[in-house]
Parts: sequence; C-alpha cells; structure tokens
Amino acid sequence: MSYAILTDLTRCIGCQACALACKEINELPKEDGALKLSATTWTMVEKRHDVFIRHQCFHCLEPTCVSVCPVTALEKTQEGPVIYHEDRCIGCRYCIMACPFEIPKYEWDSVLPRVQKCIMCYQKRVSLGEQPACTSVCPTGATVFGQRDQLIAQAQQRLQNHPNRYVNHIYGVHEAGGTSVLYLSDIPFDQLGFKHARSDEAYPKLTWNILSQIPSVAGVGGVMMFGLWWIINRRITLEQEQKKNNSKSPDSNQKKTP
Amino acid sequence: MKLKLPQLTFWRVVAGIIYVIGLYATFLRFGKGLGASTNLSDEFPWGIWIGFDVMVGVGLAAGGFIIAATVHIFNLEQYKAIARPTILTAFLGYSLVIVALLFDLGRPYRIWHPLIMWNPHSVMFEVAWCVTLYTMVLALEFSPIFFERFNLKVPLKWVRAIYLPVVILGVILSTLHQSSLGTLYVIVPDKLHGLWYSPFLPVFFFITAIAAGLAMTIFESFLSYRAFGKRIELDILVGISRVIVVVLSVFLVLKLQDLSHRGNLPLMFEFTQESVLFWGELGLGTMLPVGLLLIPKIRENERGLFFCALLVLLGFILGRLNVSITGMLNTETYFPKWTEIAITTAIVTLGFTIFSIVVKNFPVFPLEDLETMPLSAHEKNPVFSVRLVLGMWGLLLIAMIALALAKKNELNHQVPQAALLNRTVNPLEQKLEYPPPFEFPPGKDSPGLVIFDHEKHNEYQERPDCKPCHVDMFGLVIITNVPAITHEMLDKGELCGKCHTGSGNENESFGVTKEADNCDSCHEEENGE
Repeated sequence: MSYAILTDLTRCIGCQACALACKEINELPKEDGALKLSATTWTMVEKRHDVFIRHQCFHCLEPTCVSVCPVTALEKTQEGPVIYHEDRCIGCRYCIMACPFEIPKYEWDSVLPRVQKCIMCYQKRVSLGEQPACTSVCPTGATVFGQRDQLIAQAQQRLQNHPNRYVNHIYGVHEAGGTSVLYLSDIPFDQLGFKHARSDEAYPKLTWNILSQIPSVAGVGGVMMFGLWWIINRRITLEQEQKKNNSKSPDSNQKKTP
Repeated sequence: MKLKLPQLTFWRVVAGIIYVIGLYATFLRFGKGLGASTNLSDEFPWGIWIGFDVMVGVGLAAGGFIIAATVHIFNLEQYKAIARPTILTAFLGYSLVIVALLFDLGRPYRIWHPLIMWNPHSVMFEVAWCVTLYTMVLALEFSPIFFERFNLKVPLKWVRAIYLPVVILGVILSTLHQSSLGTLYVIVPDKLHGLWYSPFLPVFFFITAIAAGLAMTIFESFLSYRAFGKRIELDILVGISRVIVVVLSVFLVLKLQDLSHRGNLPLMFEFTQESVLFWGELGLGTMLPVGLLLIPKIRENERGLFFCALLVLLGFILGRLNVSITGMLNTETYFPKWTEIAITTAIVTLGFTIFSIVVKNFPVFPLEDLETMPLSAHEKNPVFSVRLVLGMWGLLLIAMIALALAKKNELNHQVPQAALLNRTVNPLEQKLEYPPPFEFPPGKDSPGLVIFDHEKHNEYQERPDCKPCHVDMFGLVIITNVPAITHEMLDKGELCGKCHTGSGNENESFGVTKEADNCDSCHEEENGE
C-alpha cells in the first residue's frame, strides 16, 4: 500500500491553487511570480507554451536522493512520500547533485541551510490519513491523491475511454524505476521537457552494483597483500641466511658469486 | 634565550597576504552562508571546493599509499628515501581535504554524522568512512617520525609492531575511496557529458590517482631540493617516472576503449568546448608526458623529468575538473567566486607552510641528503628546447584549467519550440468544481450576512484565477484565519478593499466603503424588512 498523486495536464487550468495551498500549509513565504521550484516553492504550475505543467517532487519508488544521502537524512516512507530529516543533514548536497529530476533545493542564503522539497504533506496530512494540501484545493480535479495502483488503473481507464484526448503513456509508472507522482498529457512528454529518465532501471542500482563489490575487493586485496609480503620477506630471509652460510664456508660455494 | 622571529622572505610575504585574504573569505563563508560567499546554486551545487580541493587533493595524496606499499609490502628498499616525505604529504593532503570539506558542508559541525548514521547504499558514506580511517592510518604511518624526534621508545616499538597491517589497511582504504570518488558520478548518467560519463569512472579515478600520486612525489622532491636543499637520488625518480608511463598508458587504452565501446569516440572530434578540454586532459596532460618520458634524454634530465611530472599533474587536475565541473551539463554557468578561490589558495598555501615547518623540525628526509651536490652539477646536458616546449604546454594546460572553470553550459534540457505544440484539448472547456459558497463571519453592526460565491466572483475574469485573493488575503487550506471583517479594514485597503476600491479603473470593481450606499452588493437583506 502506498499513496501517489496523479496530475492530468489536460485538466490543469493554471490557477496556482496547489502552489498557494502548499505555501500556506508549509508556512513558506508567498512572494509572487515564482518561475521555478526553489527552497521556498515546493510546487508550482509552469506555463510552457500552451500547457500548464505542475512541478513537484516525484517521490520515486527507489529514490536517488535517499540512496546517495550519507546520513539517511532523506527517507522513503511506507506511505509513499519521500521525507527529510533536518537534524541529520550535514549539507553535502549530494542529493541535489544526484536527483535525476533536479528536485531538492538548498537554502543558499541561510547560514545553517536545509535541503527543501515537496514532502507530500507527510507530517501534517498524509500520516493522519488526509490528502495533501495541493490536491485538496484543485478546482478541476487535475491533480488527485490516492493509492498508487488505483490511480494507475484510473489513468489507464482514462486512456482507454478517451484515446484521442491523451498520448498513450502514463509518465511515472516506469520512469526512474517508477515514481509516486504520475502524469497524463495530450502532448508527448519529451516535447514538454519531461526528463526521459532511464525508464526501466532505478538510479540507485548504478552505484550499488559497484559498492556491493567492496567487501570482496577488500578481502581479496588484503589476503593478496599479506601473501605477497610473506613470499617476498621469506625470500629475502632465505637469501640472507644463504649469504651467511656462504660467508661461513666460502670454499663449498664457489660457483655462486655474491 | 632570545626569541627568534621568522625572517621576512618574498614567499613568506606572499603567504601572509594569502592568509589574510583567506581569513576574510572564511569570515564571509561562515558569517553569511554559502549563497553569499560562493557562486553555487541549485543547478550547480558542487564547485571548486569539491571539484578541486577534494577530488584533486585526495588524488595528489595518493603517493602515500603507493610508496608505503612499495617499501613495506614489496620491500623495494631503494624507495625508502622518499617514503617519509611522501607519507607526510599524504597526511597533510588528507587533513587539508577535511578542512576544505568543513568549508563546503552546509552544516560543518555535523561532519561526524556519517560515522553514526549509516547508509551503506551511499557512495558518500563509504568515502566518508574510508577517508576518516585512512587519515588515522596516515597519522600512524607518520607517527614513528614524531616518536623518533622526541625519543619515545615505547610507542615507537608498538607502532613498528603493527606497521605492516596498518600499511595494508591503508592500501585497501585508498583503493576503495580513490575509486569511490569516481563512483560518486556514476549516478548522474544524464548530467555528465558522454566524454566522461562511464560506469568505469571508479577504475579511471583509481588509475589516474596512482599516476598523479607518483608525479607528485617527483614534483615535491624537486621543490624540496629548491626550498630546503634536500634531495633524492635521481635514479629513484627515474624509476618512478617509468611506472607513471606504464600506468598512464594503461589508462589511455582503457579510456579510449571505453569511449569506443559506448559509441562516444566521435564526441572527441566535435569541436566543442568539452572536446577541447578533453584533448587538454588526454593529449597535453597524458599522451604528451608519456611520449616525452619514453625518451631517455628527457627522462634522465632533472628538468625534463620535473616538467613531465608537472604536465601529468596539470593533466590530472584538468581531468578531475572535467568530471566535476566542465562535464556537468547544466542550464547555469558556474565560475568560482573570489572567496572560493581565496579559500582554496589559502588551504594549498597552508599545506606548503606546514610541510616546511615539519621538514625543518622532524627527521623527514634521510640525514645524508643534507650534503648532496648542487643540482647544477648533475645537469650536464640541459635540454633547453624541451624545457621551452614543456613550459609552453604547461601554460596551455593552466589556461585550459581556467577555461574548464569558466565553462559555458550546454543545452541539457532544451525547452522545445512553441510552434511544434498543438493542443487537442482546452482545459478551460471543462466544468469547474468551484469551492462551495463561503459565509464570512458577521461583524457587530452587520446589516446582513456576506456570502461569497466563487463561481459568481470568477464570472468577471477571463480564466479562473485563485491568486489575487489567496496569495495573502485569505487562507486556502485552513480557512480559519478569516477575521470578522469591519469596514475600517476595507477602507484601509485590506482584504476585499484591495480590489474593490470603487475607482472603477483597474478592475472596474465597485467600492465597498460605508458611504458607497450599495450594501446589497455584498450583504444579504434581512428577511422581510
């Protein structure tokens, strides 16, 4: 059981209610005219040509940010949201580097900065059994909250019922190993600038394939080096002993010159 | 005893100036935060403090584990003469990398968190552990020098007893984190340019670190000679240079093979800024020194050797910057702010200062080195032309490092052209679900209830727009903060009064003052009266 958000771009009228609701519930400054996500804007609706696109964290099923964080400051909850533990964060910003969707943002102007991003209203809403602020205020039902598998079924139903209205793809089912934020659109996603994240494989596998070799590298390396040292040292000792013997009885070993 | 003041020399004055500027930059960094003191941004979260101070710093200190292994595991006695200065360099290098990290981390006082908050899936976690442990190993490897100086025989005995396992641990830790610095970038396949991205980045980082660590020992030997008159047998350095040739050749073959395997060889010949910098790294900084070191006349000439080592080092620096900065495909451009450069310069200078202090006070160099012949006596055939050529290539490489930093960024996520998009749907045609009518809490003298109907209110607008009222006037999610509205508030231009001024100009909205005499526009009439 995990929750997700489905955003249907054919229904979004760009009213920014979701963006305002987000700012209100998270007590973020409401300065107007945010053109992109930032530490104080966790979701917003961008008008790209004629299409309104709501940006927010994708809450990946296997999040890159969670995998790269050295101190587990980011966590994928059972309910679906990817949340942030401020008290653990050391500020290395590897999550910002690594996120394929470029979602986490940093409080650059603060002396003690935090990483900021959409947390799907985890503490204030979802963990209490309510839906996030953004979906609760959408006047057109363009963005809705629910169980992930039910939302996928619902999206498939829409694709079936209105084949001419949509491109035949639900963004987020497979992208980056699957995400908890899904999109439907009437225009191909790559034309809208959606990152065609390597669809079949989750990003954390890329580094885990390498990291999981470490125990064998360390073990084999250690044993090999001890072995080498032993062989080399043994040889040197033997050589020295032989030399000693040679010097004791020089006559018997005349062939071997020093 | 008279207190001796250090003599003022040219380099000491320069160092002093660098420290003063660095201190001021440090004040800015910790007083005002990363945003004010760096050119970092959400699009470019890692700058030269990571790309240069950490990536290059750790690589240049790689000589420590190689020489330690050569002397103590492979028992090649002749390299013992350079073991101590190399381990000192490594120890200083790692300590300074940690200092640089304190500047770069947003919350430096939590630098110890990875030691207790484990995430084994994180490359950074592994690097943190390895660097911590290896710094301790280096301290142990260096400790005999300290104990000898103060004639502490018991601890010296203990350290000697565990020296071999410590050295082996050091080699393993170094192998792991030198390669892991490359693994850090394996998770950004979409952001790193095709000339550099590869799942084999850890292998490349490891091999190039070996070459750079060895080149650093050559470079440093010559500097030590110039600065302290301490010198190391040319034979040893020539031997090291041979190893560099082998290591770099292996790197070249693997790198080109990897590029061709990934179908990215053509990228080398596209005339882009990336390809130019790639040739700087691979051509000027790798192929050229390999080729030159193959010529005995250059290899066995002190200056030739020194310049070749310098080329390898510059090529290595460029290579690391290419992965960490140039190769990053971004919409933003990054060039380090003066504060970033000032702090980096100060940290490097600090390394030189501490090195010279330690060398003067501890038995780092073998004693007999003090009475060696001057450099010029060895130099029977100065290869002037080679010197000139190498110097020029070196300058070119330095220019390229500057270029790598000043890099303009590529069109990573280009937004498609507007003309191509034709919508089949108009979202505005759908039936909107307006929120239900809202009843304002009545004031004391209210002549009648005020009920707000979202749908009616929006009839006058082109498209539904929640912003004008919901930005700061009324809550959207928790509608509990709407006060009992009085006409005094409206007269001041608050809440409804913000738009409903009655001026009739902008929004053609009716006025809501008490005098306007249009109470029924908002208030419901009381029943029957």
